[in-house]
Amino acid sequence: MNHANKRIFDDSSADARRVVLPWRRTIQMCIANVRHRFGRSTLTFICIAVVVAFFASSMSYQFIIDKAMKSDDVHIQAVLEKAGVFTHDKQSLEKQKDQQIWLMTLSAILCLVGITNTILMSVTERFREIGTLKCLGALNEFVVRLFLIESAFIGVIASIIGGLLGCLLAALQVGAAFEFSLLGGTTFLQSFTASLPKAVGLGTVLTLLASLYPTYIASRMKPVDAMRVEV
Amino acid sequence: MNTKREIVRTQDVKKTYVMGDETVHALSGISLTIDAGEYISIMGPSGSGKSTFFNMVGGLDKPTSGEVYIDEVDIAQLDTYELAWLRCRKIGYIFQTFNLIPVMTALENVTLPMVFAGTDPDEAREKGANLLSLVSLGERLNHKPAQMSGGQQQRVAIARSLANDPAIILADEPTGNLDLKTGRDVIELLTKLKEERGVTIITATHDMKMLDVSDRVVWITDGKISKIQHRDEIDIQVGTINGMEEA
Ligand SMILES: Nc1ncnc2c1ncn2[C@@H]1O[C@H](COP(=O)(O)OP(=O)(O)O)[C@@H](O)[C@H]1O
Ligand SMILES: [Mg+2]
Repeated sequence: MNHANKRIFDDSSADARRVVLPWRRTIQMCIANVRHRFGRSTLTFICIAVVVAFFASSMSYQFIIDKAMKSDDVHIQAVLEKAGVFTHDKQSLEKQKDQQIWLMTLSAILCLVGITNTILMSVTERFREIGTLKCLGALNEFVVRLFLIESAFIGVIASIIGGLLGCLLAALQVGAAFEFSLLGGTTFLQSFTASLPKAVGLGTVLTLLASLYPTYIASRMKPVDAMRVEV
Repeated sequence: MNTKREIVRTQDVKKTYVMGDETVHALSGISLTIDAGEYISIMGPSGSGKSTFFNMVGGLDKPTSGEVYIDEVDIAQLDTYELAWLRCRKIGYIFQTFNLIPVMTALENVTLPMVFAGTDPDEAREKGANLLSLVSLGERLNHKPAQMSGGQQQRVAIARSLANDPAIILADEPTGNLDLKTGRDVIELLTKLKEERGVTIITATHDMKMLDVSDRVVWITDGKISKIQHRDEIDIQVGTINGMEEA
């Protein structure tokens, strides 16, 4: 009896009754959002860029020194000798490294909290938009996808900029502490290729981690929110 | 066409909101049957439960008790996917606050429900452009919501609500944020949709302009139906109604 009357629901099989959001469209929507809401995500952007710059510069710096130490160039060896690199005892070097790792972890955590907070703010700001998407048929997983990819975009762009700045900073540091000749040959270029991918990877993962909770909140928003008139 | 077909039926729908120690009875037992192709206006003062009722009928919220049937299907029995599909394909929503996606153009807004429905992109674009012409916005396909007036935004929203040829259009105070004239245009457009496309239109409003175009007017007070008027009963009263509008 119920079966005979299923008119709205009868015109297609259960399979055809799926709503979809193609990847192409997802990406387009994310790009549009990142572009139009760029001002809003400035804080997130700066947070990520700074942490990634910090990470990239210490990695790049280390890379250049390590490479110089292995070099057979007499001049470079002399420069290192003069700066006292070889007389540093191993223990204090290790200690310095430990400190740096600590500092880096701490700043990463702070950055994580900061980014989570700013993304959460933007999510609550967009409650009506999210509710509307759901009224139009969006599933929770569409919202998850839209928000994660949007965050990934911001993460990648901010990380690339931060990473480039960090590597440049490392080169300047080397120049100031030793001599720019340490960057000769392919070293300068290599310092980028060695640390940039890792830095960008780290920044992107960090951003995605930070956006997990806000994305969860967004996906749970109810379609009735779209109807709310106050605010 | 005299064969009436029921499209929406609510059975003793109640909704209570609990806020701390306080319970608000937003709906206290609404039973209503709506036929396909009807233009129904739900009238009532602000706070009477119109929006709450809409959320139930639109499958956006669940009643505390009672049932809502859409085309004889109890929507409480639908799973997440079926519910999303129902919202996407069978119901078109129009909001008081327009609710266009701000970063999208008019055309993108209109085609979005078609994207969810899996329509071919070229087909969607063509249909979207046609729908925008239907609401006289054929020249503004690429305008963003911020570049349009309230009336224009609401017309885009109407075009969007038609994207997947829904059987029902739910409009919660569609003229609430519009001035008198643009409000009239929107009502005219809804009437045209009813007449030309046979869409069932359910609007909630306290806008008296809605009265003379409705097939039936359902008056709600304090979460209860206080009276239902048919079109012919309304005509008799038009004088008083116009009087009220001018007052
Ligand atoms: N989410 C909610 N939580 C608590 N109370 C609500 C909520 N939504 C509506 N109400 C209450 O339910 C009643 C009916 O509200 P509503 O349906 O919005 O009325 P209308 O749309 O007719 O103005 C009001 O008293 C309102 O305060
Ligand atoms: Mg309302």
